[in-house]
Amino acid sequence: MRLIVARCEVVYSGRVSAVLPEAVRLLILKSDGSVLVHDDAGGFKPLNWMTAPTFVADEGDKLVVTKPKTEDQLEIRLIEVLSDVEHDMGESAALQKDGVERDLQEALAATPEALGEPLTLVKREWATEIGPVDLMCKDAGGEWVAVEVKRIGTIEAVEQLTRYLAFIREDPAKTGCRGILVAERLKPQAVALAESRGMRAVAVELAVLRGEREPDLTLFAA
Amino acid sequence: MIESETTVGADLKITCSKDELVQGLSVVGRALSTRTAIQILSGILLEASGGQVRLAATDMELSVRAVVAAQVEGEGSVVLPGRTLVDIARLLPAAEVTLEHRAAESVVHISSGSASYTLQTFNAEDFPRLPDFAESETFSVARGPLLETITRVARAASRDEARPVLTGVLVQFAGDKLVMAATDSYRLAVKETALGGAAPDLEAIVPSRALQELARIAGDVDEIAVGVQENQVLFAVGDVWLTTRRIDGQFPNYRQLLPESFEHELMVPRAELLDVVRRAHVMIQRATPLQLRFADGEVTVVARTHDVGESRESMPVPFTGEPLEIGFNAEFLRDGLESVDGDDVKFKLISSLRPAVLEGEDDFTYLVMPIRLPG
Repeated sequence: MRLIVARCEVVYSGRVSAVLPEAVRLLILKSDGSVLVHDDAGGFKPLNWMTAPTFVADEGDKLVVTKPKTEDQLEIRLIEVLSDVEHDMGESAALQKDGVERDLQEALAATPEALGEPLTLVKREWATEIGPVDLMCKDAGGEWVAVEVKRIGTIEAVEQLTRYLAFIREDPAKTGCRGILVAERLKPQAVALAESRGMRAVAVELAVLRGEREPDLTLFAA
Repeated sequence: MIESETTVGADLKITCSKDELVQGLSVVGRALSTRTAIQILSGILLEASGGQVRLAATDMELSVRAVVAAQVEGEGSVVLPGRTLVDIARLLPAAEVTLEHRAAESVVHISSGSASYTLQTFNAEDFPRLPDFAESETFSVARGPLLETITRVARAASRDEARPVLTGVLVQFAGDKLVMAATDSYRLAVKETALGGAAPDLEAIVPSRALQELARIAGDVDEIAVGVQENQVLFAVGDVWLTTRRIDGQFPNYRQLLPESFEHELMVPRAELLDVVRRAHVMIQRATPLQLRFADGEVTVVARTHDVGESRESMPVPFTGEPLEIGFNAEFLRDGLESVDGDDVKFKLISSLRPAVLEGEDDFTYLVMPIRLPG
């Protein structure tokens, strides 16, 4: 990645014409070909940019960025270069989000009893021909329980669990398999549909499951 | 009583008092749907016949109907965009207003003094058929006790639609007594009220929102008629009908939530404590708990929000024994203190992790769970 801090003027031509008058700006030239022009205000969004693929012609006192097969062109006139550095950023690593379904699934696998009944985990990602069931558990009576984990429990999630249950129950040993939809936030329609189909819908909090926070004190288990 | 049949097809034409129309529209406008997915639910139905125009609106959970006296030159029905109609009616310049439906053009022409409007109509045939209580038995309840009970209890109901039963108020008529209970699982409000006359025994879970709307529209009548069907409940306030669906499900057994004994029972000046809590509430943000530190002869109320600041205020209370520090949701505590009746509130405490109870001078009980305090 090349980072240039320069007093410059930027002229865009293509579908429209636009000029950024002379000022000090940060130019980011990524190795994937994208080019971004930032100033020190206006939030995270660049003042001007061109997405990859691009061709960058460095003509010393100006950079000319063009996009193949289009008329788009970014001409950056460099009046005074204050800094011009290039870094090897190595391999790209994807953004790691916390609080996604996988985190909930892991936390519930460690504490299945958080679903409000004494459950024992049999397997995470229980494979079926129509997709993996998030958690397959057994209840205190030895009956199978399929648990579908979502961040937000919607009608679609109930439908998904319904399909899994229909498939699982085809196995004579699992005809009594029950379903539990668990989510950090449950849509009322999903709760109604789940209950009408004999499934439980349970809301959980990741921080509570992980023991990072005590659960709220309530008058009764809602 | 209001007929609920809709006469479709004829061209409605009425002239009526602007003030009465505004009053009627404002009342039924409370039931307009805010969801735009079903357009007809954003409309107000007008049905004209027999010297009156009947107004109705519904969001499918709640419906409100009202009657306005009118000179009817053309009988019929039409549905108009509700919010726009209410806004127009309020601003009309003259004492009388004429509405004329021109069905062939799908418009209603509204004129009043120098002002005239042409408003596109919705199809009246699409308007939902509202519950018909004409044949149902109703009984009358004195307005004062009914509304007082609603006002003090309904705010404890949940707003979380994922738990429908908790969004409702348990309403029980038993002999000459009315009992209402509401809980969102963090607090419970229960009130028993003497009705001054017998009512039929019945029990229903009624949406809290419907009861709060009833309290708003109840006006100054002496009595409110109540009717209960399998799935619907009716409240009739004079010529205004409010119907609401009953909520299915099992209401929590609230009686078993009430602790039998307490460590401390303090009589505290209600208004003084309420003022302290209100002042502290200003400093509460991001659901931080309000801290009550009970020590010999006083309670100190502390509100502290990180990055915002802190407030601290003490007042004398007849507390003795080991100091007790307990946290509450400030809004819930304020609601409880506002709902209790009387100069003094009886503050009943067990421990920092057990429910506290507020009681006043009548049969009202407010139970509130504490919040764990950090550290």
